[in-house]
Amino acid sequence: MENRFKSVFDIIGPVMIGPSSSHTAGAVAIGREGNKLFGGIPKKVTVHYYGSFAQTHRGHGTDYAIAAGILGFTTSDLRVPKAPEIARKRGIDIRFVEEKGESPIHHPNTAILDMTDGHKKVQLAGCSIGGGAIEIRRLVIHDIVVEPSGTLPIVLLIDPERKIKNQRSLTSFLQQKAPFNESRIYKSPDYYIYEYDIQNYFKPSLIGELKKKYKNIVCL
Amino acid sequence: MYNHIKEIVADAEKTEKPISELIIEQECKLSGLSREKVWNKMKYNLETMRAAVSKGSTGKGVFSHTGLTGGEAIKIKNYREKGHTLSGDFMMEAVQNAVATNEVNAAMGVICATPTAGSSGTLPGILFMLEKKLDLNEEQMIRFLFTAGGMGLIIGNNAEIAGATGGCQAEVGSASAMGAAAAVEIAGGTPAQSSQALAIAMSNLLGLVCDPIAGLVEVPCVKRNAIGAGNALIAADMALAGCTSVIPADECIDAMKKVGHQMPVSLRETGIGGLAGTPTGQAIKAKIFGKDV
Repeated sequence: MENRFKSVFDIIGPVMIGPSSSHTAGAVAIGREGNKLFGGIPKKVTVHYYGSFAQTHRGHGTDYAIAAGILGFTTSDLRVPKAPEIARKRGIDIRFVEEKGESPIHHPNTAILDMTDGHKKVQLAGCSIGGGAIEIRRLVIHDIVVEPSGTLPIVLLIDPERKIKNQRSLTSFLQQKAPFNESRIYKSPDYYIYEYDIQNYFKPSLIGELKKKYKNIVCL
Repeated sequence: MYNHIKEIVADAEKTEKPISELIIEQECKLSGLSREKVWNKMKYNLETMRAAVSKGSTGKGVFSHTGLTGGEAIKIKNYREKGHTLSGDFMMEAVQNAVATNEVNAAMGVICATPTAGSSGTLPGILFMLEKKLDLNEEQMIRFLFTAGGMGLIIGNNAEIAGATGGCQAEVGSASAMGAAAAVEIAGGTPAQSSQALAIAMSNLLGLVCDPIAGLVEVPCVKRNAIGAGNALIAADMALAGCTSVIPADECIDAMKKVGHQMPVSLRETGIGGLAGTPTGQAIKAKIFGKDV
């Protein structure tokens, strides 16, 4: 059984600014993962809401929460409710679209982030599963669609060398330091992407170690 | 990782350790963090909860931007001072703490989600009342949160804890069940009694819908936490009295999941059905957001 909730602090926590853990704290988390995947703050973000998110985002403060996450704020940052203003002042264009159809990733609390800075285009499809915990069920990087099982943490290595020995090196490193449930390889003419569904939350030092060892690694 | 309530009860009985201890050990193993770090993280959550209870119960209280909720923890506090509560002063103190916390949440204050923000009043509601009634020290209060959290992990992984997927039974229902189990441990009950309390508390809130007016975490969420806290205390007392649930705890959790999935979308945090769909609920929504929504 793969557990969606992996820590007692997924249940008792997070410490956050109200009003909703799924629609506010979870939305901050989705925005933060967007920031991590993009590798910083994008210039333009279009947020597509589905299901309960589309129906209730205004009442729950989901818009400011996603904006806060994109800016890299944490759930307990007192600037969270002011995030859209802060983003505007920094020249970041964030738009919100209420979609009518079914969520493409099949969850009622879905937000899909289209992020760009003019050159780079990245998409992240996340859903908020309760208590501030989220899943990332689809990513589009360099036009490659990546579909992890959803539960965090997720490790991605974007490999412009397209050398499977890079995948093997990362695989054996992770097997020792951060066991994973599944891994997948995605290929395009320009890039290979290696994706891993990690079992438990990272030990604090491990992300630094991974970033030092592998260029173009993303830890969600 | 413990996947079922019966597993953790069996282990607690075998090792003669409280559930809280097993959850602390599990957390250290899963996270790779030291016991001290894990303990201090929970201590920080406890302090956050205490600050929220205090903020909502001080002065005139807090009020949300919409004006839909606020100030009622203070009304309860003043009422208690007269000494004529029908359900008893400790019960109403728990209710006051629960309402205070959710009023702070609705007013965009800082809270600790337990398991969610919408249900963040239920655990502090009972915990800070029990602190006085049972003269709890900080260590006991932190243990209460580990037990509650460990139970919540099992609920979250086997059922739901989000209103959008499981209705309010998954939020306040889960919080109440977690609180009931933790209250039993802190009051000196056995792990088996904790499991019974969880089953009773969850059974009693099965079917509770999530119907927030205008999609705001205000009405009925704030008062739902009053019943979450009250129900937890009733279930804990019943379990301590030796009452048992005919349906085992793990099966109650499975039932909660199935009931949640059978609920129509209008009753799962969409702000469409239930109280949100009443003429008054719709009028409030139109007033806050304009008629086009």
